Amino acid sequence: MSADAVNTGSRTTRLLGSAVLVGVLALILLGFFGAPEDDEQADAVRMIFVHVPSAFLTYAALATTALGSVMWLWKRSRWWDVVAHSSAEIGVIFCGLTLFTGSVWGRPTWNTYWDWGDVRLVTTLILFLMLVGYLALRSAGGDENAVATRAAVVGLLAAANVPIINRSVEWWANRTLHQKSSLTDGNLEDLTLFTLVVGIVVWALFFVWAMIHRFRIGWLEHQLQAVDLETALAQRRAEATAESTGEANQ
Amino acid sequence: MTGELTPRAPRPLRSRKAPWVALVIALAVVVAVAALIVNLVEGSLYFYNADEAVEERSDIGDRRFTLQGSPIGCSIVEGFSDDAPVVAFSLSFGGSSVDVVHHGDPADLFQADVPVVLDGVWVEQPPVVEGFSGIANDGWHFSSDRMRVKHDNDYINDDEYDERLALSDAGADSTEVVCEA
Repeated sequence: MSADAVNTGSRTTRLLGSAVLVGVLALILLGFFGAPEDDEQADAVRMIFVHVPSAFLTYAALATTALGSVMWLWKRSRWWDVVAHSSAEIGVIFCGLTLFTGSVWGRPTWNTYWDWGDVRLVTTLILFLMLVGYLALRSAGGDENAVATRAAVVGLLAAANVPIINRSVEWWANRTLHQKSSLTDGNLEDLTLFTLVVGIVVWALFFVWAMIHRFRIGWLEHQLQAVDLETALAQRRAEATAESTGEANQ
Repeated sequence: MTGELTPRAPRPLRSRKAPWVALVIALAVVVAVAALIVNLVEGSLYFYNADEAVEERSDIGDRRFTLQGSPIGCSIVEGFSDDAPVVAFSLSFGGSSVDVVHHGDPADLFQADVPVVLDGVWVEQPPVVEGFSGIANDGWHFSSDRMRVKHDNDYINDDEYDERLALSDAGADSTEVVCEA
């Protein structure tokens, strides 16, 4: 395998990576110095610029995993299986970040890091655990196709949780501690809204950048396994040929 | 191709793990789904709104439960009970009001008209906090020891906020129940 074949970077990823770095810098400047503080929450409101984009990208990652899982189950496409796996790995990071930033934001505003009675909090935690389970299943080993099929089922179950999480603040409107959607139902200052949109764009660019790299790693692993199999077959054939040649010479 | 091609015993898969690993993971997924369902069902009873808590007071009895409502600005009194800080106030929701004695410091964002979620029990006696008379004044109060603030999704920086807050604290707010002079 050539050196180029094992390098997951490309001109596109380098451009994307640069855009993410510039975007993060812009987000820090806007988030800390541009956007105004909130009347009630004061500076704690700035957590929204990380928390909401992380939640959005968790949904996007799960949607991608669900699509890849469906395509694997339907077409038995290894390409889509690698897409599903890659997206789930990135999704678990975003989901963990959503839980962490939500918890940190909750302490000064709700007066608690966590509340077991809140539907959105607990369903998000369950999504995180399901994603961890998905990755554990992937690493458990066994027949490659069987693992992909089992993971696809778990991936689809996890993705089914996403609409429940998203709609929970509407369905349990008077029964939840978590506020309703900030983007669709909220009342935001212009610069707060702008910074929030910047955060979502930056996180989306990071998702694409990370997906490309992780997919290429996954695809190279798949190719490496195929090469291993071809090598093993060639060795077996060579052994058989050598044995038959030896018998003929005797 | 010639030579020995009789089937040989397959080599073990490189990453083959014990079958119980898959079983444990499957079980964990089932538990996660079950927890999800239980949470969704119980989420519908996460807290009683003030009107429901008053209506179902006899059914609730002395059981610990969670109460939700909006503090009424003019009723808020902070004080001490046995040298421990308490905050007494009345809250309202759905046209009913409840007198509350919260044991401990109030939450940072605790203020009039911003809903609170409280854990505690019904106590069949009027609240005894100096300077607090209570708006419900029905011989009961809710004794709370855990407070969360249920803030909304408005993120506003209003120059007139301090003035509005002062008006709210003075009782000139939009609360349905008006304090007596």
